[in-house]
Amino acid sequence: MRLPGHRRIIAAAAALCLLPAAILAQQVSQTRRTSNVPPKPSGATPRTPDGHPDLSGVWNGLGDNLLGVPNQIANNGLVIESESSTHDLHSRLRIATFPRNTNRPLNNAEAERAASLLRRVGSNRPIYKPEYWEMVKNLDANSNEEDPSNNCMPAGIPRAGIPSYIGQTPTYFIFIYPGQGGLIATQTMYRMIPIDGRKHTPLQELDGTYTGEAIAHWEGDTLVVDAWGFTSNTWFDQVGGYFHSENMHVIERFHRNGNTLTWTATVNDPDVLLEPWTTTPRVALLNPRPDAMLPESLPCSERDLAHIVTKEHH
Amino acid sequence: MPMKATIPGTLTIAVVAALWIQPVGAQSTLERAKVLRAAADALGMVRWTDIGAGATRLPAIDVVNTMEFQGSGTSYSSGRAFKTQYRVALGYNPAAMRVEMTRTGPAGGAPQRSIQTVRETSAWDESEIGGGLVPGKGTATAAMAAVKDRLLQLWTLPYGVVKAALAAGEKTTVSTENAATVIIFPLSGQLAGITVKATLDSKSFVTKVETRPDNPALADLATETEYSNYADHGEILTDIKSPGRIVRRQGGRPILDIQVKMWEANNPYLVFPVPPNVKTAAAANSR
Repeated sequence: MRLPGHRRIIAAAAALCLLPAAILAQQVSQTRRTSNVPPKPSGATPRTPDGHPDLSGVWNGLGDNLLGVPNQIANNGLVIESESSTHDLHSRLRIATFPRNTNRPLNNAEAERAASLLRRVGSNRPIYKPEYWEMVKNLDANSNEEDPSNNCMPAGIPRAGIPSYIGQTPTYFIFIYPGQGGLIATQTMYRMIPIDGRKHTPLQELDGTYTGEAIAHWEGDTLVVDAWGFTSNTWFDQVGGYFHSENMHVIERFHRNGNTLTWTATVNDPDVLLEPWTTTPRVALLNPRPDAMLPESLPCSERDLAHIVTKEHH
Repeated sequence: MPMKATIPGTLTIAVVAALWIQPVGAQSTLERAKVLRAAADALGMVRWTDIGAGATRLPAIDVVNTMEFQGSGTSYSSGRAFKTQYRVALGYNPAAMRVEMTRTGPAGGAPQRSIQTVRETSAWDESEIGGGLVPGKGTATAAMAAVKDRLLQLWTLPYGVVKAALAAGEKTTVSTENAATVIIFPLSGQLAGITVKATLDSKSFVTKVETRPDNPALADLATETEYSNYADHGEILTDIKSPGRIVRRQGGRPILDIQVKMWEANNPYLVFPVPPNVKTAAAANSR
């Protein structure tokens, strides 16, 4: 049959894209976790000579697997604490939790359908103006065709989430987001973010870009990255069809505690949103190895989309 | 007199409710958990995946939050039957529901459209979808007296029944009636004082849901809903099974008979922000 064969191709492609991360994950942790509780911080927070927290290093970021910290479900705000307890971080609602009742591996269709549901079950959703409700729903339903990050385009900000590498100097930060396979197959992105007191360029003078114009400052021990000047050709979360206008303004907050980095982003887009929306906090772990490196991203080459025959999607 | 006419009815409700909540013998926690898990599994509510989390073996969770379904059939009002187009958006986190009905009477005429919405402790009617949220774009009219009735529609859907029965914990009892498995549990929150009796078929699908209020003054909340023809009715397949036909009675009278054409269970983007004027009314209502 054609469909299973097609699914095998997708699975193989996704597996190849994730291979470097998977290999590194195996080196770090051989234990399969039964919880996706955000990691607890340990150790002291190092500081730079100017007294600010040192955020530099390799963080597990969107790749999820570098330190065995699964955050794809946590990204949508569900924390599975144990085989009998899950709650929604945004609403605090308890979610019914059950032990698995079979050891049979899910086939690809079962796994994709379940993953699609799990990624959307959280309660933290941006509130669009009512005239856009149908549009958002339809964009998500048709994301195989509509997702602007398909065909190896950049994920954009804040969809890219936590950078996998942060470089820090007294006057600028470097963020690197390796290209992703799997959930979103995207192009590698980098950002050079000044923290020298400069102000934004007036919005009307900027050509929209995927990462926008970012400037940073410290609020206590929290790094605040303020960005605008975006192209409207991105969505602002991993799933959901969350489009935005060129007037989107994003405030990201990074707070290091020991070996953890907590990130949130607030999206303000009065053209399309009824109110600003803030992501559920995500937590990344620092790669503890002193020789930690980012693996090279494989070249992104989209070959699956033309063969997709249903609306099932990530 | 109307008062006399209601007394036998309310007595009946009280007696039936009392009988329902009688202990059915030693109730094993295991048996209750087994029945509820089977009902949740039949609907496809309990799911897990390892995609994107290769270092984990996470347990299964309830994946139902938002859903949208639509169909057509007949609705009844004051004894009259109306051809009805029926569209429902709903969510369980937060508990909310928007019912859009377009009805045409037996004599024809212009169709009448209504949009009835509820979210947690607030209920309102919208002149258009999302009316009252943006100045100049439709209106929202508070309908606080309808909160219980609208929430009851949400929690008596098959998914609501399983969620509420699980949430009721040890107050939920499982028994057998006429060879069918029956689940009985009390609702809570806004619907405290209402007991639900759900009947499962041999495949553990919820086929009948009856509600009985303890308080005779809430006799309108005595409902009976039948669900049949379960299948995956979504354009995007999810393996979540939904009913293909819904028949609802209230106070013994038919109020709805709908054939479902589409049921999207893929947690679609559905939101239920409370309009500012309704928030004000809800605050006044709670004082």
